[in-house]
Amino acid sequence: MNVPTTHTETAHLIRHGALEFDTARVFATDAVDAPDRSLPPDEPDWIVPLSTWLTAREALSARLHPVGLLIGPADDPWSLAPEGESRIDASAWAFIAIDFPSFTDGRGFSHAQALRQHLGYTGELRAVGDVLIDTIYYLARCGFDAFAVKAGHDPHKALSALHAFSRNYQRGYADLARARGLPGGGAQ
Amino acid sequence: MYIYDPVDQQVVNERVAQFADQTRRFLDNELSDDDYRPLRLQNGLYIQRHAPMLRVAIPYGMLAARQLRTLAHIARKWDRGYGHFSTRQNIQFNWPRLEDVPEILAELAKVQMHAIQTSGNCIRNTTTDHFAGIAPDEVVNPLVWCEIIRQWSTLHPEFAFLPRKFKIAVSGAHHDRAAVGVHDIGLQASEEDGVIGFKVWVGGGMGRTPIVGKLIKPFVAWHDLLAYMQAILRVYNLHGRRDNKYKARIKILVKDLSPEVFGEQVEAEWLRIKDGPSRITQAELDRVAGQFTWPAYDAALADHPDDTDERAAAEQAFARWLDRNVQAHRQPGYAAVTLSLKATGCPPGDVTADQMDAAADLADQYSFGELRVSHEQNLILTDVPRHQLYTLWQTLKPLGLATANIGLLTNIIACPGGDFCALANAVSIPVAQAIQERFDNLDYLYEIGELDLNISGCINACGHHHVGHIGILGVDKAGEEWYQVTIGGRQSGGADQAYDERGVLRAGGAAIGKIIGRSFARAEIPDVVEKLVQTYLAERDSEAERFVDVVQRVGLDPFKAGVYGDDAARAKEAVVQ
Repeated sequence: MNVPTTHTETAHLIRHGALEFDTARVFATDAVDAPDRSLPPDEPDWIVPLSTWLTAREALSARLHPVGLLIGPADDPWSLAPEGESRIDASAWAFIAIDFPSFTDGRGFSHAQALRQHLGYTGELRAVGDVLIDTIYYLARCGFDAFAVKAGHDPHKALSALHAFSRNYQRGYADLARARGLPGGGAQ
Repeated sequence: MYIYDPVDQQVVNERVAQFADQTRRFLDNELSDDDYRPLRLQNGLYIQRHAPMLRVAIPYGMLAARQLRTLAHIARKWDRGYGHFSTRQNIQFNWPRLEDVPEILAELAKVQMHAIQTSGNCIRNTTTDHFAGIAPDEVVNPLVWCEIIRQWSTLHPEFAFLPRKFKIAVSGAHHDRAAVGVHDIGLQASEEDGVIGFKVWVGGGMGRTPIVGKLIKPFVAWHDLLAYMQAILRVYNLHGRRDNKYKARIKILVKDLSPEVFGEQVEAEWLRIKDGPSRITQAELDRVAGQFTWPAYDAALADHPDDTDERAAAEQAFARWLDRNVQAHRQPGYAAVTLSLKATGCPPGDVTADQMDAAADLADQYSFGELRVSHEQNLILTDVPRHQLYTLWQTLKPLGLATANIGLLTNIIACPGGDFCALANAVSIPVAQAIQERFDNLDYLYEIGELDLNISGCINACGHHHVGHIGILGVDKAGEEWYQVTIGGRQSGGADQAYDERGVLRAGGAAIGKIIGRSFARAEIPDVVEKLVQTYLAERDSEAERFVDVVQRVGLDPFKAGVYGDDAARAKEAVVQ
């Protein structure tokens, strides 16, 4: 069971390298918004925890408005792949969100790598929760391309923090310098 | 020395800029204390008992003279004229102002130094053998491998927020001087079918739950090293405990899963990534190795007239210094010289700015401008021409750097303890001094022979008490300082138990010391050490049998009887009967 840590009033989302308002809401299974208290209404912007997805996969796949999928630190992204396979079918999701209840819990970084490197996920990967100006660079290198910046952290500074470093060492992680078209990004 | 290329310099410069901005935001209340803490720790900045403490990395212990002069300058300008070498090839400044730290880091960056990941729950500064690159018994020079690991671990995007700190040690030699058995990952170089690689030990460590690491992979070829470590870190990052900081180190995960199951999980992850971008290419290895400059040894020195032995025969003090502080070198005509920072009356590992400048000058004059820092908290001139040893020794004496006690009881490893550290339960430095004063007779010290005595002011074990032949641990009992004593620990040695060339059975690998009994008041400690030493001298078969060998052979009981008296021994017998 995930403990949602995003709030609708946390207004700023960095997505595709630009700022926009964050209108997404995390569906809590005890939320009043849910008519039958098990699923959110079929309208845009809902994010559902992995546990909700796994129990209501068919109903959620058939919606007019696809949901975002929330993966918490203790969840296993590999559980999204059919037994024995290493590819996931992402067609029913608007995006995948990985929750950071605290920025010091680094499991979400490895989840992102599993999705990007091993499970073939190419859709939007959004960091939600305790997302700081100071962690956004690492997040982006691990494969996140959307960031719900936490309240109190200047979203414009968060946007510039995507360029905190122009060189990196680790191969196999996104090279943001190269993505910006700088020559010689990363260690040669 | 490793010389930064433009990428290395830019990474460090940008880190300085990032930290300056974080500190400014903190001071302007834009960044909360809770958010700033993990960020500043990852730049080596603690808030300590008296002031912030800044820990600066000396990666794998290599230090150039000009870098040491910068450390001296920092000590004078922003500290109180001295620094403290830690047990992990770092230097600590105990009195900087928080506001000044960004400027200090900028100063360090000018000489290719930094404080990146010297603290925090991330991959720390990688440590190695302080005789790396010059020891005659090396399979491979570990310095290049340490630099490859430094680059890989620096600002690693996936492993910046681990369950707990993570320490890696590398040994390139047959005889382990890097204590690989008490690190989160210990790598020991070996060779298989002509290919260089590493034995991989995981889950060793000291602290609250001291344990010797487990060998989970007998051989990882060099090109697979980073992918294999990535797999270890990934398994740990995902599955290490985060609910209890005392159970969060990788050693607990390895223990809970069993080394076999942990190894299988690592293997499965490794097989997924081993042929990916983390595989080290020959070109990458050559590139990093090519950034090192090595001393231009003079081959003719092998035959240079050298009166060292005659001088030693004539002057016992010089002979003792040669015996203890001078180490064989793989290059004929050269020797490595340890400058002891363990003179009686000086806190172990402390070095004044003047001593730093003097050591830097000596390095320029005698040792190609290079030094090493050892985890035993001493400085080493690695490449001294043998025929200059006597002149060097005479120069060292007035500087207080010629104490001939390397490997002896007074070469005490100690953390800063309760005098400085907010975590400590008890002081360390005054205990070290009291012991040094008790054992100030050099003849007696020599008679005792090799003995590692390590002191930690608390269970975090920064003073490595678990692996001291005699270990002393400060504990808190109802607000009072007490000291627990262990014996039989050792940091390293050969891989397996074996008879050495002197016919003495030496235990292999690292070992955790065992507690001898009830703890002691501070004033009792010199007497306790004296009794342990007396017991050893009475029990040993020969001078070649060291304190730790005797503990291994006879066990704890004679030592307990020596310390606590026959009453304790009788009480034990009564229980047995």
